[in-house]
Amino acid sequence: MEYFNPGDLNEAYEILMKYGDAAIPVAGSTFFMGHREELFDEVDAVVNIKRLGLSYIRLEKGRLCIGATTTLAELHRTGLTAKGPFRIFAETVRELKIMEVRNAATIGGEVCIAGEVDMPTTLLAYDADIVIGSRNGTRTVSMSEFHKGYLKNALQTGEMVIEVQVPEPGRRTGGGFAKFERTAADLPIVNAAVRLTLGRGDRCSDARVAVGAATVSGIPQRADAAEKVLLDGTLDDERIRKAAAASNSIECVNDFRASAELRTLWVECAVEDAIRKALTHAGEEK
Amino acid sequence: MHPITLNINGEKHEVSVRPHWSLAYVIREKLGLTGTKTGCEMGTCGSCTVLLDGKPYFSCLRMAIDSGSYAITTIEGLDADGKLHPLQQAFIEEHGMQCGFCTPGMIIAAKALLDENPVPAELDIREAIGGHLCRCGTYMRIVKSIQKGARIARGN
Repeated sequence: MEYFNPGDLNEAYEILMKYGDAAIPVAGSTFFMGHREELFDEVDAVVNIKRLGLSYIRLEKGRLCIGATTTLAELHRTGLTAKGPFRIFAETVRELKIMEVRNAATIGGEVCIAGEVDMPTTLLAYDADIVIGSRNGTRTVSMSEFHKGYLKNALQTGEMVIEVQVPEPGRRTGGGFAKFERTAADLPIVNAAVRLTLGRGDRCSDARVAVGAATVSGIPQRADAAEKVLLDGTLDDERIRKAAAASNSIECVNDFRASAELRTLWVECAVEDAIRKALTHAGEEK
Repeated sequence: MHPITLNINGEKHEVSVRPHWSLAYVIREKLGLTGTKTGCEMGTCGSCTVLLDGKPYFSCLRMAIDSGSYAITTIEGLDADGKLHPLQQAFIEEHGMQCGFCTPGMIIAAKALLDENPVPAELDIREAIGGHLCRCGTYMRIVKSIQKGARIARGN
């Protein structure tokens, strides 16, 4: 196993291309080190990507641009997520109660792990785009297309995630995030992220409901049936409960953390909680 | 093997490491600083927590090879001039441990909290140790110990 610490993107891309699938880009190293025994025989090149200038959060042309090596702690601390349309990102980080992981884990790493993590669920609800770089240039894949199955993503040989972009939501939009876990230190059993926009007469003019960590597919999914219930309606208690109940269209996984039955129940609870939070925030936004 | 220099508790240590070696492994097995404990070695228990430039990290999930540019603090670096750190003193006085295995990680996480917030609310303390397991179940006393450590550090 070799170690590389490139100083610019082109150098990193050359190493990734040379070693192909046996190269792993690493920044926070939480996934790599947590799985080092399984990965030991598969990885020939560990490529540290922390010196590539990919740690930034900025607003550009109405999009929140987050560099791949930005840590969750940085995303939580920035003024850009303290209030306003992107506060959902600070709120999603806040639900990860492990300070040590917040300091290490990066948004690029979270996005690449198609599994039991929180941020991709929120990114799915916010129609985020993933910017991928390689020797051949850059390309953009939507969050909904980026995950291909449990621990599988759209990255091709020689590619890595360099940025995550989130379009600024329209006026009177609010977001909510909720999750269930066994203990604060454990991976999520269910998480849900909701984005709501209020239109004329406080009717819901746009809605996204995303559920993660619980699905049979292993990746975050939109709860289309729940979104349909929310759209064009006034968001009273009855409609909120009906939408949450409709999220049982998501097929839940049965594993040692929780049974499929329990997860189905908790998806409903998490979605209801997230809708209520999103509605409160949408009401506060002008 | 890659030669690196680790700056631990103000002392420089020259050591050769492999890319997949964790900081926890190097601290304990190569440098003999066994105050830092390794429990789960997969980022679940918190017992290996150390400070890098004042921020807490799980040293089991951290590549040693990427830790050379930071000032690292382990539990051995907390006492000064033969005097225990206020948190160490408070953990003794409040019996903030039974077996003591989680204690170094708890104290390090608490130090990071107090350095940033000298007057933490109980919820702040609970959040700061959110990633730490105590299998003796001494959580209530640990919270009390940190509260007392904060008071001692403030001089009252």
